[in-house]
Parts: sequence; structure tokens; C-alpha cells
Amino acid sequence: MTTTDPARTDLGFTDPDPRRSGPLDRIPGILLPIVSVLLAFAIGGILIWLQGVNPFYAYWVLFSNALGSSEGLIRVMEKSTPLILTGLAVTVGLRAGLFNIGAQGQLLVGAVGAAWAGYAFTVPAIIHLPVAIIFGMLCGAAWASIAGVLRAYRSVSEVITTIMLNSIAIALVDYLASRPLKEPDQPLSRTPAIAESAALPSFGIIPSGFVLAVIVALFFGWFLVRTTSGFRFNTVGLNPNAARYAGISVKGTIVLAMAVSGALAGMGGAIETLGVTGRFEPAFNAGLGFDGITIALLARANPIAAIPAALLVGTLRAGAATLQFETGIEPEVVDVILAITLLLVAAPIVARLLFRRRAMKQTTVTSRWGS
Amino acid sequence: MHRKLLAAGVIAAALVLASCSSSTDEAATDSTAAASEAAPAESTEAAPAEEAPAEEAPADAAPALTTDDSNCAAPENFCIGLVTDTGKVDDKSFNQSAWEGAQEAANVTGGFAKFIETTDPKDYLNNIAQFTSKAYDVIVTVGFLMGEASIEAAKANPTTNFVGVDQFQGEAIPNLTGLVFPEDKAGYAAGYLAGLMTKTNKLGAVLGTDTVPPVKLFGEGYKAGVLAANPEADVTIVYHEPNNAFNDPEWGAAEAKKQLSQGADIIFGAGGNTGNGALIEIAKAPGAGETIFCIGVDTDQFFTVPQAQKCLLTSAEKKLKQGTADLILAAKDGAFPGGNFLGNTGLAPYHNTEAVVPDDVKSQVDAVIAGLADGSIETGVTLG
Repeated sequence: MTTTDPARTDLGFTDPDPRRSGPLDRIPGILLPIVSVLLAFAIGGILIWLQGVNPFYAYWVLFSNALGSSEGLIRVMEKSTPLILTGLAVTVGLRAGLFNIGAQGQLLVGAVGAAWAGYAFTVPAIIHLPVAIIFGMLCGAAWASIAGVLRAYRSVSEVITTIMLNSIAIALVDYLASRPLKEPDQPLSRTPAIAESAALPSFGIIPSGFVLAVIVALFFGWFLVRTTSGFRFNTVGLNPNAARYAGISVKGTIVLAMAVSGALAGMGGAIETLGVTGRFEPAFNAGLGFDGITIALLARANPIAAIPAALLVGTLRAGAATLQFETGIEPEVVDVILAITLLLVAAPIVARLLFRRRAMKQTTVTSRWGS
Repeated sequence: MHRKLLAAGVIAAALVLASCSSSTDEAATDSTAAASEAAPAESTEAAPAEEAPAEEAPADAAPALTTDDSNCAAPENFCIGLVTDTGKVDDKSFNQSAWEGAQEAANVTGGFAKFIETTDPKDYLNNIAQFTSKAYDVIVTVGFLMGEASIEAAKANPTTNFVGVDQFQGEAIPNLTGLVFPEDKAGYAAGYLAGLMTKTNKLGAVLGTDTVPPVKLFGEGYKAGVLAANPEADVTIVYHEPNNAFNDPEWGAAEAKKQLSQGADIIFGAGGNTGNGALIEIAKAPGAGETIFCIGVDTDQFFTVPQAQKCLLTSAEKKLKQGTADLILAAKDGAFPGGNFLGNTGLAPYHNTEAVVPDDVKSQVDAVIAGLADGSIETGVTLG
């Protein structure tokens, strides 16, 4: 088994059994996402061309605006920060064999939690800031743990529960922002502005939230490969039966992995609140958790690769408005490019499912997923 | 087995994600639909975003014809930018009306107009900055939710004129004009029509909260209009409690049902999704469009809430297109007012009920709208 080399665990892209290898398996790990992105840009370019705009010019506009000025760079970093963290959230789940589709809900809960912690206390920044971030993380962790506990102790698929918890989270934060935590004397559903002491500062042009997100990504790059806990995550993800046989508490690992995943998404929400929006407003956090899934798959569940993947998505999102301003192309073309990327990254898995029927018959290992 | 099933899960989830994410985006956006702003209906993605009104203008319409934004700073060039609230310029609601106003102003002045569609509310300021960086002369920002961004941008760019559609200005800034509307007049016209049309002499209204001034103005204006047309009529007005006032369609539907059961035959629904819930419920009632009617608010809700078409008599409309164009023209003429600018109000077309409303009722209502506009009719509504 590949448990001896957990760093290579990546969602089944790397096949542990050489007898089952086919032509698709020889694709080096890094090639698939790069080719997928390039193909997606090519297809997006055709769509742009059909709208009567030179695709090379359009892409030049998109990237030069986002990366060509300090304002653009700040926005790219701001946009990428929550995406790195939601990408990591999905990644950590995937490593432990969990598909956390609930990053959006966990992010929302974390964002509203941090907003509350951000305005409810009057303490010095040195205490206030970490408390607000950690509180947001705890909110996200608690929210994800519901799905984690149900998965571990009741075998309820976390795919289903996290999707359902997303909807509940949206209703919950709407309720919180419109009733108990609402800023009084104004009609909008939003919390009061956070205190100055809870606001994330910038290092020159670099937002500290971005630095934090990068550090967390690097930490998980180390954690998943070099620590015992990381090893447990990977082992449970690869084969829960083998993990149980090896004496690893599968249930405990699942709950912990889900909580860590939720904490990461919650941190993304907390940094949004404390570093960008300055308060919680429900509409301000839409879609960040779902982009996390694209990023995790694009990064092939590698925490460090989540940084460039998030930067790519962040750049596209930051440049979309300029694209429309300069060329008249609707900003949704960016969503199309990302969706095509996701499809292409996922396509080899479909191909495997189709071409490996015979090989699968030789497999005797079954798992809870199959039962 | 394990990994293949995981892979299958990945694919399945990837496929549902698109729908997941778009529906949650919508839910999150709707929840903040606030004050008098009706929640935008689903936008049609396919419509091409044309943006070359200047080229269509006859060359002799204006001395200087601005065909692009390469040199907006030059005094002879006139550039108009528009930033939408999260939504498309063809949303059949506020964004579209404001954009039509900007295009009209571009045609009249021989200027150039361009828009950016906001996809993320965090981008408001950046999208405005796209226009200021090219020295646009006027920038239109659409919707109540952009209020704070408009103020910030106007203060940072004192030589650019900003039109804040539906943004009431508490404190006057010379280069920012809030385009606001006398809601009581729109409500009055709707009430006048309802007062003439009712058969049961019982009228209803299901509204957002009376703690938000525009909603109360709509409601009180409606009541005054009904009583002016038909002093015998009995008007029941219900307001939602302040919390979640604009996003409670179930409450709106329940209240509409209650008023119908009490014999009301025309009901005014105003207050974002809450009011829309009332309209949709009324459209389901037996006799909808024949004896039972509903009246919408803000824009022509025949288009924004198609489920209510069956009962929709008209909508108490804010004339956004005209107001936007007027303010842009004022900026061109160097007469930009700053502070707040009162736009016109009126009623949307009757559409399906064109044949149901008698001609003498139509002419009476038109006379009232004209009277309200020139000030010869007063609604008598005051707040406080």
C-alpha cells in the first residue's frame, strides 16, 4: 500500500497498484492541472472570440490589470486569501477520505463568529485580533464537526450533510445578521463594524491575512507529510480498514479531520471579515467555499499547491471587472473558465472509472464508502 | 472500491456544484434586498451586453460625438460610466432602468456610455475606480447597497459627478446626487386606481416595515390615494416587523391570504421579497386577473415577478430611467445639484389588465399622476 508514502496520496490520481496502471496513469502529477487550465483558457478564448474580441488581448487585459499594478496585486491577494483557506479546508478533508462540500457554510459561520468577536469586546489588538480569528475558526470547526460526528458514528455521508449544512448556515447567518447581531438603527441586514483593534493590518502592500493564509498552507504541507496526525489522516483516507487494523482510531480521525477542515474554512471567513469587509454582511461572502473545491482539486489535494491554485482563481476574479470594462465581455466568462478547468481536472477520474471495470473486479478491498 | 467511489463522488459533486453555488449566491444576495428595493429577478444571461449607444446617435444630434473612452479628460468629450448593483444590466429592474437612462443621456449629449456589472459586492469601489481612472465625467451607481461606496468614491474624486440611484444622502456632497423618489406619490396613484377599481370596497396592502421611510410613504400614500378616489372604501395596511422585513415571502403570502379572505379585492404588495410573496399568493387566488388584483412596486413587476402577472393590475413605479438621464444631463450642463434629487413616479403599464380597466378610470388616474407631478395634487402624507 502507499501508506508508506502518504505524501503522494492524492485522491486516487496516483494508483498504488502497478498492475492496474494504464496510459492515463503515466501523466505526471503536475501536468494534469496545468493542461486542464490551458485547455480551459483555450475554450474560454473561443467563447471570447465568438463575442467578437481578440482572446489574446482579453487575457492580456485580464492579467495585466490584476498583476500589473500594486492596487491590482493587493486585490489579487485579498481575493486569494479566503480561497487558499477554503482550498486547504477541502484538501484536508480529501486527505482523510472526506469530501467536504460544506466549506461555504463553515466559512459563513466563521465570518459571522469573527464579526461578533470583532465588535463585542474592547481589548487591545494584541489580544483582540487572535481571539477574533480563533473564535471564527472554532465556529467553523463546530459547524463542520456536526457532519464529522454524523459520518464517524452514524455513517451518514458527509457529502450530503455538508451540502445540507450549507443551506442551514445561510439561513443561520441571515438570521444572526438580521436579528440578534444586527447593527441597530439602519435597515440593512449586517452586523456592526468591527473594532479597530480587531482589524487585520497590512505589511506595506501585502495584507497580513494573505501572509497568514500562506503560512497556514505551508504548515499543512508539513503537517500532512511529517507528523503522526497527518499520517493518520492520510491512512484513514487511503484505507480505513487498514487504518483500523493498524490501531488508528478511524472515528476519532474522521471527526478531527472534519473539525480541522471546518476551522480552516472558518479562518477564511474570519480573515474576510477582519481584513476586507470589516463587518459581516451575508451577500459579501458568496461563492468562496465553492471555489475552494475547484482549488483543492486543481491542486490535487496538495496543501502547498493550493497557494498557486488560489492565486490563479483570485487573479481571474480580480481581473473580471476590468475585462468587462476594457472589452465588454461579461465577467461571467471567468466562471466558465473555472468550471471547464474543474471538469477537465475531474475528467481523468471518469476515464478511469470507465476503463477499469475489469481491474476493479480483482479488487477485494471494500470500504464504508461502498457499503 | 473506496477511491473509485470517492472519485464518483467528486464528479457527481462537481456537477451539482454549479447549481449549488448559483442558488446560494442568490439566496445570500436576496437576504440583503433592503429598503424599497425589490429583489431583482433572475437575470437572463444570454442577452448580449451592447454598449455602443453613442455610435447610434445621429451625428448632428450633438456637436462633439464621443465614441470611446480613450480621452474622457478632454472637455469636449463626455463619458458616462455605470456600475450595477450585483446583477446584470438587463435585470428588468433597477440596473436596467438606470442603464437605459444612461444610454438615453449619451444619445442626447453625443457622449459615450459604458457599464460594469458587479459580481461581488466587495468590488463596488474597485469597479467605480475603473471609471475614475479614465476620467469619466459622470458615474452612476445603482442601488441602495452601493450607498457607502458612492460616498467614499465621491469624496476621493471631487471632480467626478456621481449619481447614486436610490441612495438617500444624509449629508450633501456637491459631486454626489442621490436619485430618490417621492414614494408617497407613487403609492397615492396606485391607491387612487385601486379605489376606483374595487368592487368590494375593501382594499389591502402588505408592506415591509414602517420603520423604513420609503415603505411607510408607499403605504400612507396608497391609503390617501384610495380614500381620495373612494371615501367609502375600507383600507387595511399591514407592516412586517422591522427584522427581516424584506425577505419574508411566507409572511407576505399569509397576510395576503388573510386580507383576501376578509374580502379585499385589490392588494398592494411592497417590500422586496415580502411584498413579492404577497403578489404571488394573490395570483393563485380564484378570480385573479378578473375580480382579484394585486399592485406591485418600484419597477414594472410584470417583468420582475412573472409569477404575479395573472393578478398584476399595475406597479407603483419609480421613473428611474428618466431620473438617471435628467441627472446626467444636469451634470453635462454644469448644473449638477448634489444632495438629493427627487425623481418622478407613476404607474407601470397595465399589460394583461389593459382591457379590464375602463377608459374613464385610466384617464382619471392619468390626471392624478399629472397632478401629483406638477404639485397641484398633494398626498398629504407626512412622516413622524
